[in-house]
Amino acid sequence: MRVVVDLNRCQAYAQCCYAAPERFVLRGNEILVYDPAPPAADRAAIERAVQACPVRAIRVEHDAPAGAA
Amino acid sequence: MTDASDGTLFAQVRDPRNRADPYPLYARLRARPVARQDDGTVVASGHAEIRALLHDPRVSSEDLPPAEHPRTGNPVKDWIVNPLKDRIADRHRPFIFRDPPDHGLLRRQVMAQFTVARVRGMKRRTDALVAECLERCAEAASFDLVDDLAYPLPVTVICELLGVPREDEPRFHAWATQLATALEPESRKDEALRARNTETFDAIAGYMRDLIREKRKAPADDMLSGLATARDPEAGRMSDPDLIATAILLLIAGHETTVNLIANGMLTLLRHPDELARLRADPERAPRVIEELLRYEPPVHYRTRVARAPIPIAGTVIPEGAPLVLLFAAGNRDPARFPDPDRFDPDRADNQHFGFGGALHYCVGAPLARIEAEAALTALAARLRAPRLAEDPPPYRDGSSLRGPKRLRLVVDGIA
Repeated sequence: MRVVVDLNRCQAYAQCCYAAPERFVLRGNEILVYDPAPPAADRAAIERAVQACPVRAIRVEHDAPAGAA
Repeated sequence: MTDASDGTLFAQVRDPRNRADPYPLYARLRARPVARQDDGTVVASGHAEIRALLHDPRVSSEDLPPAEHPRTGNPVKDWIVNPLKDRIADRHRPFIFRDPPDHGLLRRQVMAQFTVARVRGMKRRTDALVAECLERCAEAASFDLVDDLAYPLPVTVICELLGVPREDEPRFHAWATQLATALEPESRKDEALRARNTETFDAIAGYMRDLIREKRKAPADDMLSGLATARDPEAGRMSDPDLIATAILLLIAGHETTVNLIANGMLTLLRHPDELARLRADPERAPRVIEELLRYEPPVHYRTRVARAPIPIAGTVIPEGAPLVLLFAAGNRDPARFPDPDRFDPDRADNQHFGFGGALHYCVGAPLARIEAEAALTALAARLRAPRLAEDPPPYRDGSSLRGPKRLRLVVDGIA
């Protein structure tokens, strides 16, 4: 799973930090630091972060399942 | 007279007879996305216009009636005495009714207590509270979702977070209902209502003052203790009037908003049984369902502001001093922003709704509301057997801004 945040869109609403605190952290209340390659086990938390973002700045790309063409 | 020039549309929105379905009125308002009403109020109902005004520094949240201090021509009065009077009155205004820079300092102090750990810590507790509520309904063939779950859940959560004794709830239940009317535009003009609100504020402020004194003596691990004892590097310790106003705001917000998200949410799911079935089969759909509910049936339909300067927008000019309504629930259904906006579709991409407002005043409690709504709606979807509405539409609470069912009677074949 790959996570990309459009930092030009991000306005530090911090909703992702509540949804997936292990993967998104705000530094100094305005700089977002995030894990671009979270483990598959975090799928639900990352989905919550994607949905909760008020400016829809978070994009997730899921790895193709093993064996898929 | 063309339809969009009907200057009574917003008055019709506030008419209780239109509470069950205000959306056709919103569509008519959007024909002029910024529309002046007969009483001088300006209503913004288009998505782009609401968004622009939310971010506009000329738009103020300090919505004192603009005529309170008309210019006298006496500079001492105009520039020193009256602003000082405002300043003193200001201290009783919570940060939802404040502008920068005060707003930012106060909000930062609240956010410092609204920590990720504290909010996330409520997740398990919320699930347990939902289970308790459903346990109490288990034997009944029908129950009222508002009284039995949608109201007690957020109230218990906010009491525990703040550190307000749950057993005092009957006292501040009535206070909260009364003070929530301050968000309705009528409260600006209705002198009797303003007087009642001032009286209620004094009662609840007295209660909070005593509680805060106790917290200072013996701080506990709760937000009120934190707010009462923390020291902000810039703002220092929060003053007592600010502390009391903040505590009251958080308590009322916990009483009057999430209840609508849960009740409107279940009402919408019961009107869209396919979506209820999909949520039951796949609880991981909950975040999508909840964001779409925040767009489609939001708990707060509008907030008021005041224009502090003439603002040219959407082919018109909002006059200086004009009361301004940001009609979030209309922007949420703007066809210029959302394809097929009147369709409830949790799978819609790019769902930038105003369910929690936006910009500087974005709802502080949003993460908590999401946790509570997810706990309630996933449990209801999973555990109610063959739920159906006893009445549709249900009766609604009075508010046109804080809008939701007064009662939502559900008939079930059982609770699993």
